[in-house]
Amino acid sequence: MIMIRSIIRPERTDNVLSALMDAGFPAVTKMSVVGRGKQRGIKIGEITYDELPKELLITVVKDEEKDFVIKTVMQAARTGEKGAFGDGKIFVTPVDEVYTVSSGIMETDSGATEEVKI
Amino acid sequence: MKEVMAIIRMNMMNKTKRALADAGISSLTARDALGRGKGMVDMTLLKGAELGYEEAISQLGQSQRLIPKRIIFIVVKDKMVKKTVKTIIEVNQTGKSGDGKIFVMPVSDSVRVRTSEKGDSALDD
Repeated sequence: MIMIRSIIRPERTDNVLSALMDAGFPAVTKMSVVGRGKQRGIKIGEITYDELPKELLITVVKDEEKDFVIKTVMQAARTGEKGAFGDGKIFVTPVDEVYTVSSGIMETDSGATEEVKI
Repeated sequence: MKEVMAIIRMNMMNKTKRALADAGISSLTARDALGRGKGMVDMTLLKGAELGYEEAISQLGQSQRLIPKRIIFIVVKDKMVKKTVKTIIEVNQTGKSGDGKIFVMPVSDSVRVRTSEKGDSALDD
């Protein structure tokens, strides 16, 4: 399993969420965060804003679906023709085990499932 | 070292914290988050369906809506992972969908800022 963490513009969140829903990935967690990128924030006059508001979307998908989800998020989150600075970043990390609390079923990378006894 | 990331119901937070502390896992980071799962619940539709409106019942499961959740991050040693996961499931399981998900991820290193200890000893009490 793979965890995809996308940091995107707040105004593109709805767009990305509906794109993911249409692509068949309804499960998403959303958090609002602040951050800066390699542009060192935005400078307007004398003032530099380096805590820019962004949205963090967390999705966990199977290994083979990784590229498709990244493509979907990228397409939906981009602004303008070629994209612009501040559109965001996507980070990909491995996940060893996934547990569903309601059923107690564990899923691993290999697709094997196992029930946790309480 | 592993990171256990658990997404749980908001009203279960206090119970979970207490259970984890009793199990010897006292350190955690938590945040508010919004999310949706495979269930696709809409609260207004749910209410309508409860009151018996046909239209609301027929639309159940078709809409997308984000539900407020709590997200907890716990970094533990390898041998504590099973215990952590079991504790969280034990407390949070109601058997209905929406109980949450737990993800277990590898962590390559951790550092205690106060003493600059590295590795497993940074996680010791």
